[in-house]
Amino acid sequence: MSEATAVPTTGPRASFGVRFVAWLIDAVILGVVGGVLFGVAGPKGGQGLGGLIGLGYLVYFEGSPSGQTIGKHLMKIRVVDAETGGPIGYGRAIVRYFARILSAIACLVGYFWMLWDDNKQTWHDKLATDVVVPTSAYPVEAWPG
Amino acid sequence: MQTKHLALDDMRVAGALMLVAGAGRALMHSHVGVPCPLRMLTGVPCPLCGMTTSVTASVRGDVIGAIAANPAGPLVVIAAVLLLVIPRRHTLDVPRWILPVALVLMWVWELFRFNLI
Repeated sequence: MSEATAVPTTGPRASFGVRFVAWLIDAVILGVVGGVLFGVAGPKGGQGLGGLIGLGYLVYFEGSPSGQTIGKHLMKIRVVDAETGGPIGYGRAIVRYFARILSAIACLVGYFWMLWDDNKQTWHDKLATDVVVPTSAYPVEAWPG
Repeated sequence: MQTKHLALDDMRVAGALMLVAGAGRALMHSHVGVPCPLRMLTGVPCPLCGMTTSVTASVRGDVIGAIAANPAGPLVVIAAVLLLVIPRRHTLDVPRWILPVALVLMWVWELFRFNLI
């Protein structure tokens, strides 16, 4: 089965550069929060709290109807269901969060996979059955939420 | 033979970022890098292990050092430079087998490099 058949949603996909900048913005936000928590709660507590906040941040924003973290909102892209084009919901946002571990485990090969993939999907996109798209083609009704 | 329609614009951006990172590391004689989680957890390298070292060495002109770390490094540096000097090319058709074969060869090299085969 071809990848195009497996993912029937048509239309443009978010580019590598735009996704990279969106990721960078989110990483800076979570890094600053993590740094503050590190200072307040110490190395162990800070790491634990930072991890939980990272999980909450990504699941809340990507699972919401907009499918946009702050970085994705600023870069005008969003996460949508690969088959319906609608929101992925909080359950699959959790899957997407943990699937990032798989994408990262072999020197980030699961992230770089989008350069080769017909639907510009990373491994965590595939596991959560989502695609990342520009809002010009898939408009957001309200953000956040 | 099945071919793959590659979108070169995304690869151009990724290649440019890679060259900037490689040049930055080479200029600053930096050893900063992202360790491979798979190798840290299991001791088994992945196909892309050594690529940071290889790309940095390639940018510095140390071809032997680059090949020793991962032979794909000099090739992706050449590809990234070509993409930048040919900006009008937006797509390229390549055989689909290229990526899996390249990853297997890279992995065999890394397993050999870390004395696992």
